[in-house]
Amino acid sequence: MAVALGIDLGTTNSVAAIATPTGVEFILGPRGERVHPSVVAFPASGGVVVGQDAKRFRLTEPHHVIHSAKRFIGQNIRAPLVQLAMTGIRYKVVEGPNQQPIVVVRDRRMTMPEISSHVLLHLKRCAERQLGTQVKDAVITVPANFTDAQRQATKEAGRLAGLEVMRLINEPTSAALAYGFGKDKQQLIAVFDFGGGTFDVSILRLNGEVFEVLASDGDFFLGGDDLDRTLAEVLAAECNRVLRIDPRPHAALMMKLMMGAEAIKCHLSENDSAEGEIDGLDMPNGTTGKLPFSVTRKQFEDLVNGYVSRTIEVTRQVLTAAGLVPSQIADVLCVGGSTRIPLVRERLAELFRKEPNNQINPDEVVSQGAAIQAGSLTNTLVSSGMGARDAVATTGHTTLVGMGAQPGPGNTQPPPMAPPQGMLKRPILMDVNPATLAIQTAGGFTERLLDKNAPIPIEKIRVFTTARDNQTRVEIDCCRGENRKYAENEPLGTLLLENLAAQRRGELKIEVSFRVDSDGILHVRATDQASGAAQEAHLQVLGAPVAEEP
Amino acid sequence: MSARSDVLLWANRIVNKGSVAPHHLLEIREGAGLDEAQAAFHKVAKMAHPDLHRASLNPEELEVVTSAYAKVAGAYQELRMMRMQTTKLPRTNLKPPTYAPVNKMPDAGMPSGDVKPGVPAGPASAMSSKAIVYYRKAEQALRRGDLRGAVLQIKMAIAADPMSGFLRSALSEVESEIAKGG
Repeated sequence: MAVALGIDLGTTNSVAAIATPTGVEFILGPRGERVHPSVVAFPASGGVVVGQDAKRFRLTEPHHVIHSAKRFIGQNIRAPLVQLAMTGIRYKVVEGPNQQPIVVVRDRRMTMPEISSHVLLHLKRCAERQLGTQVKDAVITVPANFTDAQRQATKEAGRLAGLEVMRLINEPTSAALAYGFGKDKQQLIAVFDFGGGTFDVSILRLNGEVFEVLASDGDFFLGGDDLDRTLAEVLAAECNRVLRIDPRPHAALMMKLMMGAEAIKCHLSENDSAEGEIDGLDMPNGTTGKLPFSVTRKQFEDLVNGYVSRTIEVTRQVLTAAGLVPSQIADVLCVGGSTRIPLVRERLAELFRKEPNNQINPDEVVSQGAAIQAGSLTNTLVSSGMGARDAVATTGHTTLVGMGAQPGPGNTQPPPMAPPQGMLKRPILMDVNPATLAIQTAGGFTERLLDKNAPIPIEKIRVFTTARDNQTRVEIDCCRGENRKYAENEPLGTLLLENLAAQRRGELKIEVSFRVDSDGILHVRATDQASGAAQEAHLQVLGAPVAEEP
Repeated sequence: MSARSDVLLWANRIVNKGSVAPHHLLEIREGAGLDEAQAAFHKVAKMAHPDLHRASLNPEELEVVTSAYAKVAGAYQELRMMRMQTTKLPRTNLKPPTYAPVNKMPDAGMPSGDVKPGVPAGPASAMSSKAIVYYRKAEQALRRGDLRGAVLQIKMAIAADPMSGFLRSALSEVESEIAKGG
């Protein structure tokens, strides 16, 4: 029986799981851990180290430890926010072909999908060891506001890891699936996903087995890392003041302060103040120093308040886009480690006038949804032929919410309200297009083709014609964004139709279909209506993965 | 199996409709409301969402179903936009993110100093603009390691803004540093 993996490929951590007839089983790391750091190290001793073990090299070889690759995958390196993100890393990133970011470690040059593929391969191997079978298929989750290029790059990472990526699903949608699957709910929910490196929020309508995303938005460069960095900057200033050393130019020292900041942040989620000292600071002058600190929760909250306010602001905007007011939302799901911060939960409670749901595990729920979707796509979720899988359903096994209702092969006593065996309906995910796609029209304006928040897969067909006699070539500029002015949006690339039959102007009719598939990836196809000859028009998205020339 | 042939019949019907009004593709009456459109679309999704047919249809058949579904999705979106605009919902247009660096730590035991050159430092909002000039000089003195010079500048700043608690705590901190023999 084919086993399909659900993978939450996160900025800081990744989690993988599979769905079994009785629940979701997590894939464990070498030390039995469910959460695998998305860290890839290329230590001086050779080889590639991934996950928990890779983290150890952060202090000794900060330049050879690649973390937060998700912040760069599928990005145009020249984008201002990418440049900003580059100030927060200690490894080297340079510009490669098609303006994609390339990691340079010693003499090796690697694309971001290659880096992420190491994380995926690690998960695949852990799964194969745990399940005792080959794993080929996977569903990978991505932030709801991931762009076309980022999605393509994530699929590429899966392919490099030897996985057949059946589907990319959006993280908030995945969380909603884990929350509502098998429960036959009729309600509106909000999913607030504030992770290590990204933030997004989605509003969904649950209608039995249908999970319809009504609106979704987010901020790609906002996450727990930013909170750590803000606190680390204060620690850096403190280091400068107390120890008379500006740590900012020193990678290892800054990394140590970042790690200190992360620990302080986590401590403050449980306690009102954090006091102590960061020791073992290797100073540039060869000595070892220690930095005392004392931070109250209030001080930390004042420090990160701007970021938290931004997330609440986006949440309000998404509600408006869905045509709803906060009181209509029946439940608020918190996803991602940063939602553990009490201030975040307080602000959410204030907005929705109800406490966010605290039944779900913010680190694991996304991978649970991915596992359910993977099981559904391979048709293994509801079939009864998976009894053998029970043999390994031991460690890391969590009963799915509502799935306990489904009787397993040996279970003769279905709980009350249980759907009859085999009647558990396969979930239908109606995800949305992450950004408006438009084309340039005369005068530098845009014409919207596919709206943001439109259900996917979706297709729009437009007929184009020539403007001059004997024109054999038509160029269509495509962009992503909401602005009416073409130049104000993010250019996607130019669609080129060549070798057209020479005719008088306006006589040639070219039908162009713009389709966003279920993975949120744009496909463009042009057909000459007279001849019926189709040509796949090529739209090279800047920042998308392309092979490096040797 | 009938579900399979049902969905193929439906898909061929939709694909062959050409470009028609959205309500024809959703197969609802003209002028139907948002709820009706949504119900119709959910019904289509339950029957024809391509994910449901991944395993049972061959690639060509699946492509026909996907095309039909995508076409109906486009029609649903068009209707939805029309209905939402008529109910006069405020249009959303997300502004680009603004990252106001929040360096301020009120009543903090550790003034944040100037961590980011060029960015207004945190204490700015904690004192008057005249005091800031002196405070900046105090920072420069601190960076040189000149604690006594810093004390002088902070005292000047306090003279300019006697109400600033931030400056007073900064002063006592530097003074205690001197007392420690720094």
